[in-house]
Amino acid sequence: MTMIPDLDIPGSQSTPTIHSDWAAGRLTMQGDSYPENSYDLFDQVIAWVQGFLNEAQRPLTLELTLVYLNTSSVKAMMDIFDLLEEAHEQGRQVAVTWHYDARNERIAELAEEFKEDCSYPFAITPTPVSA
Amino acid sequence: MKARGEEGLLERVAALLAEPRHAEHPLREALEALYLQHRDQQEQLDRLMAISDRYQALAREAQQVTEKRYERAVKRQKKLSRISDRYQALMRERNQALHQEAHHDPLTELPNRRLIDERLARLDREGRRYTLALLDIDHFKQVNDAHGHDVGDELLVAITRTMRQGLRDYDLCGRWGGEEFLLLLGNTGLEEASRIVDRLRARLAQVRVPSGDQWLSVTLSAGLSEHRDGEPYLATLQRADQALLEAKREGRDRSQLASG
Repeated sequence: MTMIPDLDIPGSQSTPTIHSDWAAGRLTMQGDSYPENSYDLFDQVIAWVQGFLNEAQRPLTLELTLVYLNTSSVKAMMDIFDLLEEAHEQGRQVAVTWHYDARNERIAELAEEFKEDCSYPFAITPTPVSA
Repeated sequence: MKARGEEGLLERVAALLAEPRHAEHPLREALEALYLQHRDQQEQLDRLMAISDRYQALAREAQQVTEKRYERAVKRQKKLSRISDRYQALMRERNQALHQEAHHDPLTELPNRRLIDERLARLDREGRRYTLALLDIDHFKQVNDAHGHDVGDELLVAITRTMRQGLRDYDLCGRWGGEEFLLLLGNTGLEEASRIVDRLRARLAQVRVPSGDQWLSVTLSAGLSEHRDGEPYLATLQRADQALLEAKREGRDRSQLASG
């Protein structure tokens, strides 16, 4: 079994903070995402998810607190959700929790759009408003 | 597929060939050769059709797979566009909200100094005619000190409401400072502006806000200045400010016109 190195990508104004935890089976992403080269950024994420689903047998959980996504980031997220769907159909345990600021219901509506074709657990939960 | 009756004919020919009394018939050899050749050709034709059918089935299957894949891709593309469009709309709204916040005073919702500056700079570029009036609430500090800032704020909001109602659509009223307002009267000369401002001041003096068991009202002083052709708006503003100071010095509750 080969372990893919964990991701620890600090966020910026235009890129989300990305952190993966192979041992815990968790991937977290938070912030805005409109990177100049989204393939550079998301290829690593997709590779990690793919690697985890191929190599590890543990459940995988995604914790997302994404706010604004540009088109290529939307596509990348759809690709990741498709990977999860495929794995789920093969009996793997996968789940997504999408956190959003309770003051911004629009983000919840967008998360609902992503969720549409997913048959695995996909929770959309408001986080308490922080002052 | 064999033609109707063909099977019967072949059986008849086979039976004739098998008949021992025909063994020496002069046509038998040629008929047998013809019979065998026909059987071979029939066999080949059947194989050809079977192969052709298999190819057709394969092609059909491939087409269905492609169609399904295409439908999935279209559905995905639609979803991508839909989500992306919604994010874009969200961003646009956020920008508009930010723009509104950056250009308006949160208490009175009036245009702030930034927006007024932009508008004046544009008028200068377009070489338009306008008169500026700076209005200041008389003794506003005393209102705040005696009745508290909440009452002071309420008074500002009430004054704003009346000021808005008294203006023409193309006039602009902004909050210039704490208790100071700037009126931008487009296409208006000093005389006409002076009449508008005096009428407005009279109405503003009628505004009442409650404080405890009494009603508060205030007066306003104004300084007016007409824009001179070609000068930067800051020069016009400066004259209006000077005129306002004079109005204050002269005893407040009055308008002062900057000398043309």
